[in-house]
Amino acid sequence: MKPVGMCRMCLVEVEGVRGFPPACTTPVTDGMVVRTRTDAVEKIQEGVLEFLLINHPLDCPVCDRGGECPLQDQTLAFGPGESRFVEEKRHYEKPIPLSNMILLDRERCIQCARCTRFAEEIAGDPLIDFVSRGDRTQVLNFAEQPFESYFSGNTVQICPVGALLARHYRFKARPWDLATAETSCTTCSVHCRGAVQSSSNRIVRLLGVDLDPVNHGWLCDKGRYGIDWVHADDRVREPHLRVGGELREVSWPEALDAAAGEIRKVLRMHGPGAIAVLGGARGTNEDAYAWARLAKGVIGTDHVDCQMGDGLPAEVVLGVRRAEIDDCDRAGAIVVLGPDPREEVPVLFLRLRRAAKDLGVPLFDCTPVGGSLAPYAAHVARRVPGEPVGADVVELAARTARERGGPLVVVAGRPSVAEAPDATVRSIAAFGALDGVDVRVLSALRRGNVHGALEMGLAPGFLPGRVTLDAGREWFTQRWGGVPAGRGLDADGILRAAAEGRVHVLVLLGADPLLDHPDALLARRALEGVPFVVAVDAFRSESAARADVFLPCTVWGEQNGTVTNLEGRVQRVARRVAPEGTAMDDWRIASELAYRLGADFDLATVDEVTDEIAAVAPAALGATAALVRRARDGVVLPLREHLGEIVVRTRGLSILAEEGAGTSWDPIRAGGAAPAGAPAASGEPAPRTRRRRPVPARTRRRPRTRSSTRTPRASAPPTRPRCTSGTVRQAGPPRPRVTRTLCAS
Amino acid sequence: MSVEERRIVTRRLHERPEDSWTIDGALASGAYRVWREVLRTGDPAAVQEQVRLSGLRGRGGAGFPTAQKWSFLPEGRYPRYLVVNGDEGEPSTFKDRMLVERDPHQLVEGIAIASYAIGCNLAFVYLRGEFALGYERLTQAIADARSHGFLGRDVLGSGFDLDVVVHRGAGAYICGEETALIESLEGERGMPRIRPPFPAVEGLYAKPTVVNNVETLSTLPHIVEMGGEEYAKLGVNRSTGTRIFSVSGHVKRPGNYEVELGVTFRDLVFGLAGGIRDDRAVKFFIPGGASSQWLTGSDEHLDAPLDMDFVQQTYGVMLGSGAVMVFDDTTDPLLVAWRLAKFFAHESCGKCTPCREGTGWIEKVLYRMAHGMGRPEDLDLLFDVGDNISPGVVNAPFTQTTICPLGPSVVSSIASLHRYFRDEVQARVGVSA
Amino acid sequence: MGRLSGFLVTLRQYGKKVTTEFPKEKAPRPARRHGRHVLNRYEDGMEKCIGCELCAGVCPARCIYVRGADNPPDQPVSPGERYGFVYEINYLRCIHCDLCVEACPTEAITETKLFEFSFTNRNDAIYTKDELLVGDDGRARRLPWELWLGGEDDDTSEWMRVTSPSGDASYEGRVSWSGELGFGVRPPEKGQAQD
Repeated sequence: MKPVGMCRMCLVEVEGVRGFPPACTTPVTDGMVVRTRTDAVEKIQEGVLEFLLINHPLDCPVCDRGGECPLQDQTLAFGPGESRFVEEKRHYEKPIPLSNMILLDRERCIQCARCTRFAEEIAGDPLIDFVSRGDRTQVLNFAEQPFESYFSGNTVQICPVGALLARHYRFKARPWDLATAETSCTTCSVHCRGAVQSSSNRIVRLLGVDLDPVNHGWLCDKGRYGIDWVHADDRVREPHLRVGGELREVSWPEALDAAAGEIRKVLRMHGPGAIAVLGGARGTNEDAYAWARLAKGVIGTDHVDCQMGDGLPAEVVLGVRRAEIDDCDRAGAIVVLGPDPREEVPVLFLRLRRAAKDLGVPLFDCTPVGGSLAPYAAHVARRVPGEPVGADVVELAARTARERGGPLVVVAGRPSVAEAPDATVRSIAAFGALDGVDVRVLSALRRGNVHGALEMGLAPGFLPGRVTLDAGREWFTQRWGGVPAGRGLDADGILRAAAEGRVHVLVLLGADPLLDHPDALLARRALEGVPFVVAVDAFRSESAARADVFLPCTVWGEQNGTVTNLEGRVQRVARRVAPEGTAMDDWRIASELAYRLGADFDLATVDEVTDEIAAVAPAALGATAALVRRARDGVVLPLREHLGEIVVRTRGLSILAEEGAGTSWDPIRAGGAAPAGAPAASGEPAPRTRRRRPVPARTRRRPRTRSSTRTPRASAPPTRPRCTSGTVRQAGPPRPRVTRTLCAS
Repeated sequence: MSVEERRIVTRRLHERPEDSWTIDGALASGAYRVWREVLRTGDPAAVQEQVRLSGLRGRGGAGFPTAQKWSFLPEGRYPRYLVVNGDEGEPSTFKDRMLVERDPHQLVEGIAIASYAIGCNLAFVYLRGEFALGYERLTQAIADARSHGFLGRDVLGSGFDLDVVVHRGAGAYICGEETALIESLEGERGMPRIRPPFPAVEGLYAKPTVVNNVETLSTLPHIVEMGGEEYAKLGVNRSTGTRIFSVSGHVKRPGNYEVELGVTFRDLVFGLAGGIRDDRAVKFFIPGGASSQWLTGSDEHLDAPLDMDFVQQTYGVMLGSGAVMVFDDTTDPLLVAWRLAKFFAHESCGKCTPCREGTGWIEKVLYRMAHGMGRPEDLDLLFDVGDNISPGVVNAPFTQTTICPLGPSVVSSIASLHRYFRDEVQARVGVSA
Repeated sequence: MGRLSGFLVTLRQYGKKVTTEFPKEKAPRPARRHGRHVLNRYEDGMEKCIGCELCAGVCPARCIYVRGADNPPDQPVSPGERYGFVYEINYLRCIHCDLCVEACPTEAITETKLFEFSFTNRNDAIYTKDELLVGDDGRARRLPWELWLGGEDDDTSEWMRVTSPSGDASYEGRVSWSGELGFGVRPPEKGQAQD
């Protein structure tokens, strides 16, 4: 936001300048001498604070901001001890609604214009502004036009007093009884950094935390206020088992035994192909990894899909060269193919808008229907739904990017579920075929941790770490004890097979195909056709209600772990409250089931899962729990230390990993040192030497029995191919390799 | 007492009271003659030079040399705009209104000459919204000027294009401040902008912009006609030429008087305006509009010359917009100060905290004091609050903690109370306390 | 003489009644005794508590649990926007330090001189708002497990401030009495100013 110089608290003395310029609007110049604590300045600061307070109601005990109020802090630091104002303060009606979510207490407003500037400059929704003059100046929305911005909650967070209030948080807690944990919001796949706060073991608030490469401190209202469901009354708190046609509450061992028993039976009678796993995009990477290992390594089925027929093929998402959000700021051009970002990935919209409007990056709006970015687009090229972007647009975008210098960022997702993904895929292929342009794709899939789930192999034909079944077969067989023989079915295929009675056990990992799959009829027939459904969910959704075994899982705010956002950035999510009931982490459920199926994952803590991912999944090599915890901005996979491990090839776009393909790790160049000033986190090198994980001294949950023959660590691991520099590769056992061709035709 | 008006800018409207605003009347008394001549000569720099020689200073209030203002325009950056400040909102000032209503062609000619001098092809007139008649006559005058070829494409065959847009304000005093005026013209809420960048560098629509007052521009044709040096012979010291003074208050003949600068306040009040009603004594007068500090009815003050620099340096007051408000000895200075504060509290745009909250506070305190509810400490309180808006207000040169001078304006009357009527005010609050 | 002076003390006590037949009667209570709390109300019956949680925040024993809520507009519980929706004090933890009373911005919580209350289970030790709130007569509710003999809630207004309500800094460190709280008005003691 541009400085406005309204509050006048920061008046200072500058040598050679008459009077008292405000520090916020005075650019620093060479040799400037600024005095901030002279007698004259202190008198003015005190005077200005007195002015700010004369009409401020001082109802701090009632105010939601009381205790975390910048005005209180300023008053303590610089303010007068008492007021000389004996007249009546100005009065207005106490909070008036600006929208369904935002309340405004005009008495408390100090007219700093933060909210109006945010609404206009950052969100592009100039729905509030000042009215009236003098000390009756007040912020208001326009008549008959509520402040219905997708980002209105940010104004509450940046309001320096308790003037703007969230109806959601009103009187819920006081700042001093809040406990805070830094986490990432997983409502959509942007993963804005936030601070989740709880009071008395209830999550009451989510605040945006400034993460430069991602959200700049902003959150969307969907993420900010969509947190109440964690403690919803209809959370399923205990495991359930269908007994005599009815779901009945049972103990965990009973439920797990029932699920494992059925799986074992089906495995024996029908083989692994009769078992399918749907979902997994809402959990952490650890959850996804454990379930991928259970499904592919233990059960041996490849009928696994974390998308619900509404995304893009995993080959595309994992195979193309990916952009970081920051690439948009320095891009030569941005092409938006996918859905309306404001609807699906709202904070990405803020970043795209900023790039297009404030940084002057030419933006091509190629969505089939008009979107929120159109006003800021340099070119609007509507495409026919179901058809790829025209060659002229591709050419123009490429030319623009070439002329301006900088990458061409393609934001790609599914514009709508009514449209097959082919059009988007072919559009990406068209951009990928360009010469002399650095094309990077920013996936705009919307499901919370869908990118993490895809990377962890919850997709047909893939194994953790962006490798295909064939490429990773040997590597993972050694570690997991086996991988599926061939490529399995995706969500559509699974449901179709289920409808035909070929699926005997369907595991729903937080998936609700009845409501979520584009073809609801197919989903219904599928669920009717499956004899045994295992639901791992927090709610009794329409599909989960059909379950034979219901295993309640923990949700965001109750679980620790890592998540991966749409640019491949791994960040930590933090547990702030104890789980409802006896809900268990998904990864723990998976490892319990695995144990009952005869495989010991030997994972006791979530950090151990993270470390196993870091050791096993090629693209995530080196992203250990310790590293992710240390990295302020998260880490973007793959780490530069581990370049050369993956080769990505798509038709027309064939780039070696050493050159930065399949990933994005600007500003750190492949094989080179990080340029000065590069954010430390994204390039923080993982330890190069692989340390043997120390065996913890404490007792394991369970005695290790036969499992030692299955756990990869027990047997001497084959030397994994490592690349020491950008060009020299070691010869050695099979290198995990993604070799896919875009399904262009 | 024998001073006469020296009518230059107001000559035509006095000569032809019946039709001075029409194109025929104006042409008959010599309008656009200078404009033709300027175009014929075709030398913008010469016009600028004449203005520089004339020593013309802005008639809007600040008294900044016009030629110098023009010289701040950055070289070679076009388009640039001329904005005419016709938002005459200063209480008791009514000279621009007369000029717009009764001699709009003189203003149009001035705009044309100024535009030509600075190389601007589009001028804006920001006219106070309440000037209904002025708006009517000015738009008519512009239409007539255009149909006579004085404006529009290729003016009088010179190849110079010029158009004038008239915009009516919506009643905010702050829009008389040049950056707030520009904001308002752009369609934003009228609030002053932070400087730098100055309007001359980045003004209207982020283009180089000159903002001049109506009277300043109306003087231009006469300067060019007389020659700058000749004009500079009028007046006194650095206050050259003539100015229109709006005399109001307890005088027998209130009105606009154009006098040569250098005559005294006594000439103005007792000569031209006919003295005080009922032949009472002057208690105090406000020499330059509501934002100026006051002077008293003492001989020293009355005999002070109308010289911007002299009164500024000697008494710390400004001639401002040339509005002289005279109060006789029946006046309660506290009430006057309160009424002025009420005006400023109402008109504060709400941008800077000291002005937004301070003017309202001062108004409330003054109301109490003027209505028998004052406390002994109130005058010192007022003074300290004023000092937080405008530090060092008594010991000129004072500074300000606000962006524009509106906030400090309210402090002027407090400083005057403090300086001239301290005992009277103290007696009032002491008794009622 | 020095040796006998000790007996003088004994002699002076002779004939005085020194044993109090507790619990039939109670020894006189000091004026500033800190006992069981009450939540006060205004004369119109409105609750003084606004649920600001300052008492809970300042409590060194963490024995107060408060939750605020929006005042129902048609039937407000307290003046203003917010009221104490939940108010609980755990007397197994309370150390009767009176910091809650000092912290309260509306003078809602004060203390009686009652100290005789016992419980048969831990839950009873948690006083809820209903139990703490004074009745319509402005006096504490007398709960069955408490020993009220009279006089324990006469001057619940007893209360010290170290700063004035106006926050005037010149009152810093000066002790003064508030006569507005609770039930009854105590006269100021020596050296204390009536506010």
